[in-house]
Amino acid sequence: MRKRIMLVDDSRVVYIQMKQLLAESSYEIAEYCSSGEEALEKYATVRPDLVTMDIIMPGMDGLETARILKNEHPEAKIIMLSSLAYADTYKEADAIGAKAFIPKPLNKDDVLQTLDKVLQG
Amino acid sequence: MTTTISQAKLQEVLDKITQEVTEKVAGIRLYQAVITPGEKTCTVHADFHSGFQFGLSMCADLALFTRLTQYMMQQEEIEQQDIEDFVKEYFNVLCGHIAAGLFQATMIASRFDVPSFHTGFYQPESMQEQITLNYASDKNESVQLTHNLAVR
Repeated sequence: MRKRIMLVDDSRVVYIQMKQLLAESSYEIAEYCSSGEEALEKYATVRPDLVTMDIIMPGMDGLETARILKNEHPEAKIIMLSSLAYADTYKEADAIGAKAFIPKPLNKDDVLQTLDKVLQG
Repeated sequence: MTTTISQAKLQEVLDKITQEVTEKVAGIRLYQAVITPGEKTCTVHADFHSGFQFGLSMCADLALFTRLTQYMMQQEEIEQQDIEDFVKEYFNVLCGHIAAGLFQATMIASRFDVPSFHTGFYQPESMQEQITLNYASDKNESVQLTHNLAVR
């Protein structure tokens, strides 16, 4: 059975790219949310194995969304997925309780290895 | 503009990252050169805030943005909406790398807003150019990256 991912990103481009990357893997995108607000609304219903979360989004950004999600659902496994790949952001994501950080542009091996590592961890 | 980074250093950061990211993400090589833009251009723009406050715009020939989109989608047939969406995502990646480059140079973190896409040349109101970098692509398309500051 494929592991279920909730993808949170305002850009449909990332949804397209992740769908392609995951096509022959043991992962599937169970739910695509184009905003942090939508992700918070749907998490309890979708109950994904993993959440991938963009940072720069209109309205609530991904770090704030992750913070609230972890408060409401401490069991949530969140992976930040962003171009803001530098020490300050890593630190903030880590403090929130994100399990990993995947930098953009997406690299297939990087994405799959990180998903595996987080699920096994 | 803060005094935490010199104009020369800022220009160096913008130039290096723009060339690297554009080649990596879009498969397009850029060279510093001033060439006349084509008849159809588009602009993608993002406002940086938090540590650094500035606007960043890239105005390029539509042909270049079309090629970028085809490369990222790995297909020839694309639609206008695809160009807008893929160019915004490309610029998102570019801005993220620029924020990282600025952090490396100054230890100052910054964020930026979701990029906006515009037909033709676009400069936000109440902003003035501070740095302009001009490029020609490997297919002789025009690209102009502009760093804008708010008019006081």
